[in-house]
Amino acid sequence: MSVLIAVTVGVLFAVSVYLMLGGELRGVCMGALLLGHGANLAILASSTSPAGKLPPILGDHVDLAMLVDPLPQALILTAIVIGFAVQAFLLTLLVLTWRRGRALTVDDLAMDPASQGDISDAAASPEQTS
Amino acid sequence: MQGQLIILFVLLPMTAGIATVLLHRWRMVQNVVGVALLAANVGLALYTLASLYQGVDADGTPLPGSLFVAQMGNWPAPFGITIAVDLLSALMLAVESIVCLAVFVYCITQLPSPLRGGYFHPLFHLLMLGVQWSFITGDLFNLFVAFEIMLMASYAMFCVGTTPSQMRQAYKYILLNLVGSTLFVTVAGLLYGQLGTLNMADIARIATTPGALPATSIPVIAMLVVVFGLKTAIFPLWFWLPDTYHTMPPALGGLFAGLLTKVGAYVLIRVFVMIFGAAEAVTEVVAPIILISSGVTMFVGVLGAVSMHTVRRILSIHIISQVGYMIMGIGIALTAGVVTQSRELAVAGAIFFILHNMAVKCCLFLCGGLMADHAGSDDLDRIGGLLRRAPWLAALFLIAALSLAGLPPLSGFFGKWVLIREGLKGQFYILTGFAIATSLLTLLSMLKIWSYGFWSPPSGDHAARPDHRPRTAGGVAAIAALVILSLSMGLGAEQYMNVCRSAARTLVDPTQYIAAVLGREHVPDPELAAPPTFTVSTRTAVRSTRLGRADTRPGDAP
Repeated sequence: MSVLIAVTVGVLFAVSVYLMLGGELRGVCMGALLLGHGANLAILASSTSPAGKLPPILGDHVDLAMLVDPLPQALILTAIVIGFAVQAFLLTLLVLTWRRGRALTVDDLAMDPASQGDISDAAASPEQTS
Repeated sequence: MQGQLIILFVLLPMTAGIATVLLHRWRMVQNVVGVALLAANVGLALYTLASLYQGVDADGTPLPGSLFVAQMGNWPAPFGITIAVDLLSALMLAVESIVCLAVFVYCITQLPSPLRGGYFHPLFHLLMLGVQWSFITGDLFNLFVAFEIMLMASYAMFCVGTTPSQMRQAYKYILLNLVGSTLFVTVAGLLYGQLGTLNMADIARIATTPGALPATSIPVIAMLVVVFGLKTAIFPLWFWLPDTYHTMPPALGGLFAGLLTKVGAYVLIRVFVMIFGAAEAVTEVVAPIILISSGVTMFVGVLGAVSMHTVRRILSIHIISQVGYMIMGIGIALTAGVVTQSRELAVAGAIFFILHNMAVKCCLFLCGGLMADHAGSDDLDRIGGLLRRAPWLAALFLIAALSLAGLPPLSGFFGKWVLIREGLKGQFYILTGFAIATSLLTLLSMLKIWSYGFWSPPSGDHAARPDHRPRTAGGVAAIAALVILSLSMGLGAEQYMNVCRSAARTLVDPTQYIAAVLGREHVPDPELAAPPTFTVSTRTAVRSTRLGRADTRPGDAP
């Protein structure tokens, strides 16, 4: 089982690196998503194997040694929530990029005239208008 | 002071963040709430530092228990969430809170109104929440969460009022940090699998117990260098920084420069000096990486700065060069065969340098912002002669710039002096050579801004518009506050260095930290685990051995 998870983690990481280096902004977002999944699976795999253990619910006659360690799952849950927020942010940014510059790839952003010239101009302009 | 009160360092910015979201229509109220809570935060930080420093004996050694620890929900230490403030955290919090207040005043007075409107305030406070949380947290997973809050706020700040060219940089910044965070959470998970704990004190206990650290955990721990190195922007992970910071408005650039990379440096000290400092299996892998990286970081950074020609670009790439000095101290402290006293001094030098750099770097960015306000650009070819126009700004800039370059008696000198002296003592001749050369080149690049921007005959936009007077009073006040902070570090260097040294002592020997967080029975060394018996006679004995120039103290390994 752990070999299978390890291979899955590797594949997820590989796919996400491929997507992120592709330069296509939607792919970049997908890559970020997959990277988070890979990390969560890696944490799950590094915790002790749940085979033959009980869920961590305390009762009257429960042998504590037989329970699954709940902490890695708590860590993963936190990481999922944070990953969700980051993902939402990235997608918002994607929409914003499209609205502002009609750009869908990193190259489109590079072709933007503002970034060709002096960057200080582009950045300083809001200050001048004030 | 009640130890539980340290949770206020998280609660205050959180309150400010939530309140300013609800108040986003009323800017004036947002400003008042922000200033009030930031000022309260400064007071709390200074009070914490003062009460912690009262627990230091005449010799500079913190007495047992001079450490604030709070266990959230009263869960005992390795199981619950621990927050702890020791002298290092208190020092960082004190300077960070002052820097935040100054930047906030600058922002609400100087930033163009579309940038400081509505949701700028919550982002500012939440960024601060992340920074302060990472200073006080006592376990690695919470550190990850704190980093994420800090980064989330910084991503959003990056995109406030962006042009498409900034968007491109924003993607770069977000993705790199995303990869860094993912690596961090993976490493944290693997480390939990190896050690069964993520509590810093508990990991330190395992690391200081001989033979308790499994050999398979070493590569995992070494990966932490990559994680924190990316945040700190050390060689070869610095490439994202010079491309991104200069695209921001200077006020936000100052905030990022003053806080974000320094959080990385703080965490490097906390994790590698305090937690793994005693584990030789870790230090023999990590120390050479950090030493080589520090030399290259400082030198390449300053070469980049010399070659740049706009104020913000020079300052941005300079951040990298300064980070080199901070991690130089860490590298020296981790090298095998360095005596304990040198270790302490090297760490103290690094801490001092971080504090100095937070204030000065931020101050220079704010100066750059005001220069651009006056001249309409921050390209050095298009500004000149600001000395006549803004003499106060010029004077403040000169002090901050010379302080960054490290001219005595300004604050940069003392941090560098301690680091270079310890470098020579530890026979790191090449590294020390780089440090001195970097210092000279820093002076060169700062003088470049000075001579082009202030000293030269008036040129550029402002020369044609002598009546155009931007309002800069709030900005100058903020800069002056930071310059005064920096001057106090230079003129009162001995006092600051003593505090830093006491902080470093608890890091090099983490026994007290472990005892305060986990309870005294968990301290690995049975001799030190005995209840504290600090009678007059032992204290005098300690002092007399130190006066005799002995390099070791009783209880230290030779």
